[in-house]
Amino acid sequence: MLLILHGLVAVALLGAITHQTLAACASPRAKPLSLFGRFRAVPGAGFTNAIVVLYLVSALLGAVVYLYFKVDLQPNLERDRHWHALGFFDLKEDFVAIGLGVLPAYWFCWRRPFDSENRQARVALTLLLAFIVWWAFLVGHVINNIGGFGS
Amino acid sequence: MATLAYRRFAFAYAAAFALFYAVAHARGLALFTVYPSQAIVLLGTHRSRDVADPVLDFLAPEMYWYGWTAFAAVGALIIGLVAALLPDRLCGFWACCAWVVPPLAMIACVYLTIPWFRL
Repeated sequence: MLLILHGLVAVALLGAITHQTLAACASPRAKPLSLFGRFRAVPGAGFTNAIVVLYLVSALLGAVVYLYFKVDLQPNLERDRHWHALGFFDLKEDFVAIGLGVLPAYWFCWRRPFDSENRQARVALTLLLAFIVWWAFLVGHVINNIGGFGS
Repeated sequence: MATLAYRRFAFAYAAAFALFYAVAHARGLALFTVYPSQAIVLLGTHRSRDVADPVLDFLAPEMYWYGWTAFAAVGALIIGLVAALLPDRLCGFWACCAWVVPPLAMIACVYLTIPWFRL
């Protein structure tokens, strides 16, 4: 149940951060009525609070689920010699923790999105968070389905 | 004024958190160790293999991630508060650190994870 909830929150977070990243980074020259043009035209600042809350909830749920993973699943993965998967999962933990530390600065940068002084930091921190969220989502998805991999 | 102080705090916190996390990971500096199968939390870094046969390690797997994160959060809080008290002319430095240090810490974590990929 917790794992499903964790996954659902992660999907919402993934959508929000992807929209915001494209709004922050993509070229404004896309045709305004094209799919990409509409996708990137979303006002990025509107996602900030939602992204911070979703990230915190997702990290909290992940931290709880991680306890069960360590006791019930990791020994099986080690027995089946899924070393690479365990390595990627370790990186997911590390990246998510570093993302937690970045959240206050990220929130501040988007508080005034038209402030050119913070633009560089805003784009860089948004890209960083987007990378972390995508990495965590993909690795979590693979670990969740690892029984079917290579079989 | 409070906004500028928060800005210095937030940027310094981001950089210091990433730095402290990488150091905690590399040096094994967990604020506490969690033993999920026994539902025990011990202050500091503990290794079950130090007190029991390593082949019995699976009976009491230890978790450091929570302790590393707490260590980084406490360390970054101190650095952030100090940065908030410093003059605003250093804000550019902290802003630069906020987005340069976390990727470097992530690269350090990749380096520390390499042993998994050599098994």
